[in-house]
Amino acid sequence: MLSESERMASAHELTFRIKDPNSKPRSIAVIALDKASAAIVDQISHEQWRGAHFFTSLSFSTDKQPAEGQSQAMQAWLNDLAGRALNLVAEVEKSDFVVVITAAGEDARAVSVIADACAMFHKSLLGLVIPQDDTSDKDIDISLGHLRPHSRMLVVAHGIDYIEVMLTALRA
Amino acid sequence: MLKKEQNDYLTQTGPGTPMGNLFRCYWMPVLLSEELPEPDCPPVRVKILSERLIAFRDTEGRLGLIDEFCAHRGPSLWFGRNEECGLRCPYHGWKFDVTGQCVDVPSEPAESGYAKKIKLKSYPLIEKGGVIWTYMGDPEKQPPAPEFEFCSVPLNQTFSSKRLQECNWLQAMEGGIDSSHVSFLHRGDLNNDPLFKGAAGNKYNLGDMKPVFEVVESSGGLLIGARRNAEDDQYYWRITPWVMPCYTGVPPRGDHPLHGHFWVPIDDHNCWAWSYDYHPTRALTDSEVAAMRDGKGVHVKYVPGTYIPLANKTNDYLMDRAAQKAGKTFSGIEGIGMQDASLQESMGPICDRTKENLVGTDNGIIMARHRLLRAAKALAEKGTTPPGVDVEHQKVRQAALLLKRDVQYKDGAKEALIAKKGVRQTSV
Ligand code: FES
Ligand SMILES: [Fe+2]
Repeated sequence: MLSESERMASAHELTFRIKDPNSKPRSIAVIALDKASAAIVDQISHEQWRGAHFFTSLSFSTDKQPAEGQSQAMQAWLNDLAGRALNLVAEVEKSDFVVVITAAGEDARAVSVIADACAMFHKSLLGLVIPQDDTSDKDIDISLGHLRPHSRMLVVAHGIDYIEVMLTALRA
Repeated sequence: MLKKEQNDYLTQTGPGTPMGNLFRCYWMPVLLSEELPEPDCPPVRVKILSERLIAFRDTEGRLGLIDEFCAHRGPSLWFGRNEECGLRCPYHGWKFDVTGQCVDVPSEPAESGYAKKIKLKSYPLIEKGGVIWTYMGDPEKQPPAPEFEFCSVPLNQTFSSKRLQECNWLQAMEGGIDSSHVSFLHRGDLNNDPLFKGAAGNKYNLGDMKPVFEVVESSGGLLIGARRNAEDDQYYWRITPWVMPCYTGVPPRGDHPLHGHFWVPIDDHNCWAWSYDYHPTRALTDSEVAAMRDGKGVHVKYVPGTYIPLANKTNDYLMDRAAQKAGKTFSGIEGIGMQDASLQESMGPICDRTKENLVGTDNGIIMARHRLLRAAKALAEKGTTPPGVDVEHQKVRQAALLLKRDVQYKDGAKEALIAKKGVRQTSV
């Protein structure tokens, strides 16, 4: 007699798997940390996405300084492709997770502000470093150094096609 | 998530498929040397990349891998007589040499030259590191013999085994890339298995259940670094190399031998999970080899006389709910090989990746799929030789080390990740 595991592992049994969706659409904030990655984000945003929200830069209100012990995140704004400035903290709160993108060697230190916002709502931050044509190992190290303290997962990926593949894999 | 077309593309490796063509660019492990132990020993059936073949070692010790079926009327040459430099079909006595060339058709006069016109398809075999390897691609493009360290050290420093895994190769291999499952599925084994226990690094594994991952492309595949907090402003790094298409290394523990796997498609619903263990600078001890033969570490206990795991789907993998409840094993299955295989086989013959919900820490898997797809397309469209064929890509080593928090692992571990003859592994 066949064991249950044996019967259930057959190709025939695959046909009885539940067809209903096993997840709800997710919302992913994709944030460029520098000018070069902003161009990449702009390009990717033209594909069809269900739950990805693209932002090309981060800016800060200058009217008041953060109070003692308060994160700069409270004063930060995300700029989207339609030219709107949206509140960073509110956008992070709405997202299931946050992807930040930096072109290797660029200044990516703004990530710490985004990481503060992620920490407020316990959201995972995923960092992508995109080498450019003339990138050296040193440039990649600089970017990794900026992102490492804040990311749950860090990826160095050549070519912007990887970002699309990753967002698709994550059902963005 | 993968689209169905992409899932089909990656999981199908039969003749003429894009992934099948990719696999046919590499030398692949096909048998253990012990399966063809001596000249004129019994032939062995081989199924690899959905092709049915027969392997034998002839009177002179030459190895052959040829079409399994006799060119006369088609019975399996597994019944053949391996004698006088050829495999003779017992039906009417046709005989084939290690290249598949028919050398005797008893019903026809030898002078007629009839036998010369009959040739079975064959592939070259080479023996290296206790493993017999085949290359199934274009003979013009045959690469040099593999130079993975486990098959390059002296034979007394290396041990390989294989086990049948009844599912598609990709879902098996993905387990070898996915470092994030170790803290759960295998947590019971770190302090108990004779081939893992006692390493200083184990305490970091068990002490920090939320590792942080970094994935970097290497020339032959990927390096997947998992970082955990350690004392004195240091990180404990475990770095897993993947070499395309299907070689993975498990980061080491203490001075235990280094281990890892090859995942070789048999057909689209089965694969061989190869497991190696080697030490770069010393002979394996008798007790280490005894533990490996006994199915410890990455190896498994077998159904006697086979390479089928003793715990398998026909006996519900010897599920032990009491051990699961007590936390002795996390899943209730004993041994890390079958902990992985039981779950991977339960996904079904080919995992339906349209239903999965990946998270950020799955990026190693996402990147590996992407590189495989990209390489198979480049091969199909432009004839580009894929990564991992170059033997330099194969000289990588898994590593486990402590680094200051401000040191990048690519720099701090640079030397540790290169397989260098006579140099001990980097491991804590
Ligand atoms: S079928 Fe084999 S010799 Fe005839
Ligand atoms: Fe595993």
